[in-house]
Amino acid sequence: MKARQVLGPAVRYILVILVCVWTLAPVVWMISISFKPPTEWYSPNIVPERPILDNYITLFNSTIPIGGTYFMTSITEVITLPLFNSLIIASLSTVFALFIGFLAAYGVSRYRAGGTFALFFTLLTRMLPGATFVAPLMVYYSTLGFIDTYPGLVLLYTAVTLTYAIWILKGFIDEIPPEWEEAAILEGAAPWTVVSRVTLPLVRGGMLASALFIFILNWTEFLFALVISVTQVRTLPVQISLYASAVGRMYGPQAALGLVATIPMVILGYAIQRYLVTGFTFGRVR
Amino acid sequence: MAKLAVKSLRKVFGELEAVKDVSFEVGEEETLCLLGPSGCGKTTTLRMIAGLETPTSGEVYIDGVLVNDVPPQERGIGLVFQDFAVFTHMSVFDNIAFGLQIRNVSKSDVKAKVDEIAQLLDLQNVLSKKAKGLSLSEIQRVAIGRSLAVDPKVLLLDEPLSNVDARTRERMRIELKEIQADIGITTVYVTHDQLEAMTLADRIAVMNEGLIDHLGTPNEIYERPKTLFVARFIGSPSMSFIQCRLIEKDGKATVEADGFSLDVSGLSQSLEGYAAGSELILGIRPEDSWLETKKSSAEAMRAEVQLIELLGSKSIYHLKIGKNPLLLKTYTVEDVEVKGKVWVTLDKNKLHLFDKKTGRAMT
Repeated sequence: MKARQVLGPAVRYILVILVCVWTLAPVVWMISISFKPPTEWYSPNIVPERPILDNYITLFNSTIPIGGTYFMTSITEVITLPLFNSLIIASLSTVFALFIGFLAAYGVSRYRAGGTFALFFTLLTRMLPGATFVAPLMVYYSTLGFIDTYPGLVLLYTAVTLTYAIWILKGFIDEIPPEWEEAAILEGAAPWTVVSRVTLPLVRGGMLASALFIFILNWTEFLFALVISVTQVRTLPVQISLYASAVGRMYGPQAALGLVATIPMVILGYAIQRYLVTGFTFGRVR
Repeated sequence: MAKLAVKSLRKVFGELEAVKDVSFEVGEEETLCLLGPSGCGKTTTLRMIAGLETPTSGEVYIDGVLVNDVPPQERGIGLVFQDFAVFTHMSVFDNIAFGLQIRNVSKSDVKAKVDEIAQLLDLQNVLSKKAKGLSLSEIQRVAIGRSLAVDPKVLLLDEPLSNVDARTRERMRIELKEIQADIGITTVYVTHDQLEAMTLADRIAVMNEGLIDHLGTPNEIYERPKTLFVARFIGSPSMSFIQCRLIEKDGKATVEADGFSLDVSGLSQSLEGYAAGSELILGIRPEDSWLETKKSSAEAMRAEVQLIELLGSKSIYHLKIGKNPLLLKTYTVEDVEVKGKVWVTLDKNKLHLFDKKTGRAMT
């Protein structure tokens, strides 16, 4: 066997391993801490000397002492409500952004609605850091009574992720030859039938890809949630931040919640995975 | 079955006048081919008939009814697109049934109709398959089947074979011809391929720069092209052209070019109105002249062999008379060599004369 044939794959594997270590190291560390008692939170060992589940239990029952240390009880409320909030808000916002985004992308792609300017204009919401408009937004929202409500966050998330939905979906719709829709029209299909029977099924991959992407953005959003939610609609990222307050740094529960919060993402990503691949290679005849 | 007529169709896209003035009629069960190079306006004309483009001016009639303001889906038109536009996410059955399902036709009727079409187009075995994995020939038939399922009055085909490799195209062309004979429907077929047009059309409209140059049967167009453009476009290998001047020689009208001289006084074409010195273009098809190694007639002209293509059943000789290139086709192999001298005689009954200024054939 030639040296080249060995060296090539070897270098590839080494690179793959390096990338994996690089990206997975923080996750491994997080998992490690989530099983450690408070006495080990600051020690560098990966495998806990005295592994415990208290960090997880305390997420749902804040009164138990963590790792038998009496004063180490959780300072925050349980995660049931924030978990529920996050699921509702992220899902609703994703659905709305996709629905409006698809219609807008269809208009832009097929009818050049708004010319090139309107499309570019939608990027404006992403051109400044959120921190610049979070203060005026808070004032605006308080006059509308949107602070600490579902509509407040859902509306905001829909607005800031809409531009992604439009841009991604426009790319997919552009790929469908207009003749396919014209063929459907000549067969007698009304505009809505054309969209539902031809266009939508063909961009399913794109819809799911954008859904995953936008759901992740909504699920992990912190700044707006911190400002707009008080107690009623507190989301998971805000909840995570509460474990590291001035009173005490609860690294264990924080890491445990981090892991819990990742689980829905992993499930969703796994479920959508096969559509992501087909999404980008959907079939033209030639 | 229906008649189709378009009158003075014109379409302007911004600066571009894609279709300038197009009129024609297609009779019941007739197939008309719009033939021309890309950009000549043939596809735009077709799309205006279908209602996918709004004419800038002019009228479209189906069965004598003006349909300019009738939306495409109500015109009773089936259109087969260049890339067939078969829905790859559906089964063959659903593709063919698409129009019927939209019209809320009962399930049993849909099935009966699809079965009938599948039978006609030999698609029975693939009905349940996804359209994605089909062969091109099957996809073509699905596209035609989908258009036919809703019983259109007029079938339009937009270069359906243009993206297909040569061998498949040959087979599909014959397949189309057979299907056409079976269904007998008023058809407009757009193509840039003269062979397709010749095979499939009852009449051909040769289009050039948004206008119809010549509308006639395939034979008329081949034998008596009305313009230089048509003469050049139809025929393979193409007609040879010699630029010449009209002179009077020994009291007879004669056309002359470098090393080339031909008495044209006895031709059927009228030279009236053309003074001596007029610039003409003489055209001759490769099969309409003879090649000899010895001079056998007074009208034979000396030519030099530039190149010989031996193609088995026929041979193409690239000759030069003086400075004028000429193609000559024979079905025998002549005993000549490259650079050799031969004698060429033109069949005067098959000569084409064009006015150089207007590009129109002299009649």
